[in-house]
Amino acid sequence: MSNGNRHFVSPEPFNPQQIEALTAEQEKYFLASQWKMMWWRLKRHRLAVASGIVLAVMYFSVLITEFLAPYELSARNEDFLHAPPQVIHFFHEGDFVGPFVYGLDQTLNLETLQREYSVNRDEVQPLRFFCSGDPYRFWGMVEADFHLVCPAENGTFFLLGTDRLGHDMWSRILYGARISLTVGLIGITLSFILGIVIGGLAGYFGGWVDNLVQRVIEILRSLPELPLWMALSAALPASWSPVLVYFGITLILALVDWPGLARAVRSKLLALREEDFATAATLMGAKPSRVIGRHLLPNFMSHLIASATLSIPTMILAETALSFLGLGLRPPITSWGVLLIEAQNIEAVVLFPWLMTPMVPVIIVVLAFNFLGDGLRDAADPYK
Amino acid sequence: MRGSPGTLAAGASLWAFLISAPALAAFDETPSLKAEVEAGKLPPVAKRLPAEPWGVMSHAKPTPAGRHGGKLNILMGRAKDVRQMVVYGYARLVGYDEKFNLVPDILESVDIKDGRQFTLNLRKGHRWSDGRPFTAEDFRYWWEDMAADPDISRLGPPAFMLVNGKPPKFEVIGETMVRYTWDAPHPKFLPLLAGARPEFIYRPAHYMKRFHAKHQDAAKLDGMVKAAKRRNWASLHFRYDRPYKNDNPDFPSLQPWVQTTKPPSKRFIFKRNPYFHRVDERGRQLPYMDEVILTVASSNLISTKAGTGDTDLQARGIALKNFPYLKKAEKRNDYIMRLWPTAKGAQMALYPNMNHSDPKWRKLFRDVRFRRALSLAIDRRQISKLIYFGLASPTGNSVLRESQVYRKEYAERWAKLDVKKANALLDEFGLEKAGAVRRLPDGRPLEITVETSGEELEQTDILRLVKDTWAKIGVKMLIKPSQREVLRNRVFAGSTQVAVWFGLENGIPTAETCPSALAPTSQQHLQWPKWGQYVETKGKAGEPVDMEGPRKLMELNEAWNVSTSKDEKAKIWHRMLDHFTDQVYTIGLVSRVPQPVVVNARLRNVPKKAIYNWEPGAHFGVYRPDTFWFAGN
Repeated sequence: MSNGNRHFVSPEPFNPQQIEALTAEQEKYFLASQWKMMWWRLKRHRLAVASGIVLAVMYFSVLITEFLAPYELSARNEDFLHAPPQVIHFFHEGDFVGPFVYGLDQTLNLETLQREYSVNRDEVQPLRFFCSGDPYRFWGMVEADFHLVCPAENGTFFLLGTDRLGHDMWSRILYGARISLTVGLIGITLSFILGIVIGGLAGYFGGWVDNLVQRVIEILRSLPELPLWMALSAALPASWSPVLVYFGITLILALVDWPGLARAVRSKLLALREEDFATAATLMGAKPSRVIGRHLLPNFMSHLIASATLSIPTMILAETALSFLGLGLRPPITSWGVLLIEAQNIEAVVLFPWLMTPMVPVIIVVLAFNFLGDGLRDAADPYK
Repeated sequence: MRGSPGTLAAGASLWAFLISAPALAAFDETPSLKAEVEAGKLPPVAKRLPAEPWGVMSHAKPTPAGRHGGKLNILMGRAKDVRQMVVYGYARLVGYDEKFNLVPDILESVDIKDGRQFTLNLRKGHRWSDGRPFTAEDFRYWWEDMAADPDISRLGPPAFMLVNGKPPKFEVIGETMVRYTWDAPHPKFLPLLAGARPEFIYRPAHYMKRFHAKHQDAAKLDGMVKAAKRRNWASLHFRYDRPYKNDNPDFPSLQPWVQTTKPPSKRFIFKRNPYFHRVDERGRQLPYMDEVILTVASSNLISTKAGTGDTDLQARGIALKNFPYLKKAEKRNDYIMRLWPTAKGAQMALYPNMNHSDPKWRKLFRDVRFRRALSLAIDRRQISKLIYFGLASPTGNSVLRESQVYRKEYAERWAKLDVKKANALLDEFGLEKAGAVRRLPDGRPLEITVETSGEELEQTDILRLVKDTWAKIGVKMLIKPSQREVLRNRVFAGSTQVAVWFGLENGIPTAETCPSALAPTSQQHLQWPKWGQYVETKGKAGEPVDMEGPRKLMELNEAWNVSTSKDEKAKIWHRMLDHFTDQVYTIGLVSRVPQPVVVNARLRNVPKKAIYNWEPGAHFGVYRPDTFWFAGN
């Protein structure tokens, strides 16, 4: 019987990699944190990476707008109203001169009341780089006049033409980016925090908390938005600058706008809190904030990221839409929306098509955010 | 006018013309009405016209006399604008001719005694558009059954019929003669009848009586009130009484074209009034054109649609900035662009609120040196050059050179850019300069918020130009666009520092024009809304005038009201204008901004160059669109 009682456990030391040995790469993969894996996943999404780079460049440019723009925001070129874009040339009559533009001659046709421009081929205006040009106050504080590129002395450089007051369109687009890209972010952040916190509480605790939150959400949803905006835009103090007014409106909108996200968070949490890992965390004494923040929320990070990246372009488009209704930003503030409103007439289409160029950055930004959001959503669930 | 040629300057020229009016015998039948006349549905033209029709001369000469037919397409921004056809039609008891003299129109003549007794003589045989006679009864109906009826006019006769709070004595003297007699002169009476939006002191009695409790069987009226879901008969009466709003197709009219479409609609058709009282010099009944078709289009699409040839005559909804585009499409779509001078005192003016609720700001705005400095620090030439292609005049808010009371100094006073002088004025005033911006005596920076109605991009553009030159005198401007109603209410409440609005409405006044726009008489004067409100409400609301200059203007305005001599009136005008412009109560920017007019290339008799103005002028009204006609095919 001694044989029959023999153990079939091998006396040799246990080697877990006996059957499959992990390569260094696999080991890296299995030991990587969630964020690291998201990054790897994202890197594979070429379009998302490219979009991310585009957005990074754009947001970086916002920091140094004054330096990048050849003209200061309020600089008017009174002899060049509605001037067409100037093309950058390199060769003049066969000789290499470096980047330059030809001068523009203007005549006012009194019969058609049109300012007519002709390119003066004799006047070569070489562009200057890292030069001193229009004085500005960097971030409204530091006096400076250093620019990346300036027109020649007594020359002009209108890469995208000028508008009806002789403002350089290219400079205006750069300055407009500063407002268009940033003014909505804070509102979105706020509505996100509110949505996650309130939705999280409602979903996790359920019961009367959930009931209360649901009723509040229903009330907020039933408020008509347009009259609210109109009333608010009239009620905000007159001494506020229009940017501040718009900023205030986006904040208030954020306060009204969180229910959508809160509902999504709530329904997701209602399901997830019943999962074993949530019960385990609770049993181990984790506080609700930790359970929600560490264990539950990361489970639908993908959804959160997708809605965040998608709501930024919505905010940018909303700015355009609201300006159209006369509720959003209005001149003299320069944003892409305002620039587009100014191009919303038949004259711009027929006579001054370059006024419509602000459409291009809007399209690029909206697309880039959508691609990036798409990539992030795929990446946010690296275990799938 | 008959009886007292001295009272109304207009009389002489018209009288001479009336005598040369066409011989009554030969009237041509209007081709489009021939069939109806032959079928016996309509009396022949000689029976439709009053015994003495009004002859209208054509303005654009030399031109062959007009011919009948054609349809005129026009565009309007809102369905409410059907009223514009009452404006363009411009059939008035008395109306302005194209030189802005008052002449009788629907009336055959007016006799004025001492400026307080008005005898109106109607044309014998004049008929409403439904063929019923237009008589003294129609005047009686309005005065006795409407103005004096407690249900229709709760507050008694309308304010414009009162002089010193007292109504006139009304007499019917004959079938075609009525008389109004006041205790004191009523110089505004005739201009009010001639307005772009006139006061109607007559109604089609035969039509309106069926809605009136005095003339209609109570049970039947009650049924009508119920069927129309109105509160009471007065409200029913009001619903059908649309002489100006023009949205009741059944309402008999005296205008050249009669509304025939029941609203709501996007397309309104106005048909010729077969009983219209004007004829041309060859005895053809006006209007020439058979129909006017008014299409409602979104107001920012009007210039686009005009450029595609969707309108035959258009100025409303078109601005100077649309001109290059419209000019470009001119040949292709067979229309002609014209530029007419406008007659506002200023295209745009800044109104420093002298009733501001903050005493410090109020003190500042009431100081003439401050207002002058602000006005001097505006480069009006630059505004004209950049915004209006250099076509506008760089003048302040005053009267134009076409006006009888124009003097060069009124228009040009304090209107030339002079930063040095402006700075000197402010220095004298004790506004310290600390850095780039001056300080108020209490240390606050001199930041002025200028509020606009936010309707016109142009206003913000101009303000940006002004902002730059104001910065040179240490005044910082903040621009706040809001909405029209919000802006007005804020101004009325004294919350707005400086408001932007149009300048004087009538830039071409005669001595006979009421000068009340220069004195605090209305809440709508945004530089002194509370004083104006005080006057308007007879002291019930607002504040009494507590400033020397405006009080003087009020006294002068009163003096003008009771004055009967033309010389004296002109003198008062000059004293008021002199004071008004010297004190710069309003800061006008530029004036005479041309109005582009789109005219179908086949449309004749539209003046090449004419003043485009609302009051007086009624836009196209004074040029009598009933005399416009289409040539060729």
